[in-house]
Amino acid sequence: MRRADDGAGGSAPRATAARRSVPRAHLADLAALRAFVAAACAEVGAPPAVGEALVLAADEVCTNIVLHGYGAAGPGPITIEVDRADDGARVTITDEGRAFDPADAPVPDLAAPWAEREAGGLGWHLVRQVVDELRYERRSGANLVTLVKRAT
Amino acid sequence: MEITIDQRAHVTVVAVAGSIDALTADALVRAMGEQMHAGNTRLVAAFDGVEYTSSAGLRVLLATLKEARQRGGDLRLAAVQERVLRVLDLSGFTSILKCYPDVGAAVASFPSHHS
Repeated sequence: MRRADDGAGGSAPRATAARRSVPRAHLADLAALRAFVAAACAEVGAPPAVGEALVLAADEVCTNIVLHGYGAAGPGPITIEVDRADDGARVTITDEGRAFDPADAPVPDLAAPWAEREAGGLGWHLVRQVVDELRYERRSGANLVTLVKRAT
Repeated sequence: MEITIDQRAHVTVVAVAGSIDALTADALVRAMGEQMHAGNTRLVAAFDGVEYTSSAGLRVLLATLKEARQRGGDLRLAAVQERVLRVLDLSGFTSILKCYPDVGAAVASFPSHHS
């Protein structure tokens, strides 16, 4: 449990992280997950630019989980937690699919001429561009991706 | 997400409204593909109603751009919102496809005679 008092005045930040779990995540769940992240970031007092960045990053991570994480076993769970990080927010995304380290994603060649541009790796590239911190951990059969975006 | 097709004299305007993500991108790539297979390869994607895109939208733009150009046409964007433009910029897409402030300018950018 986190202490609710940060001394900053105004309404107290929530005592625990906001949390949303989808037991069998489909692409159709992405819109609601984006809305959850946006609302939760606003709730912890993060400025709009922080919410915008984390919404995009979370969308990219969740999309990858839905499309590549569970494979033939069928859709599986995604859990998102949002809490305050300094003057911004932290989004932690957990899934129980196959291990995938973002460091293994292909890196797009941004300088390639149009005919040679490839679509691969664009999602993770965007994640790295818009967040301040990206951390990956594999723990007890689960992937944990942590995204942090600060206001300053 | 909504898609509206407007056939002009020498250009097809595909107006998109809503959010483009991995779910909705499918409908867009299909709509673009249908136009090109019908021979409409001069495409303007009117994005004034697009409030959000993820990399799924970028994939559609890239695939459409490649096919249109390979068929002797092009895909150009119009009225892209700031938030979407930022995503295009971060992905290096603003250097491979032309963005115009409005549909009129995008349409006018295509030569009006047929080669």
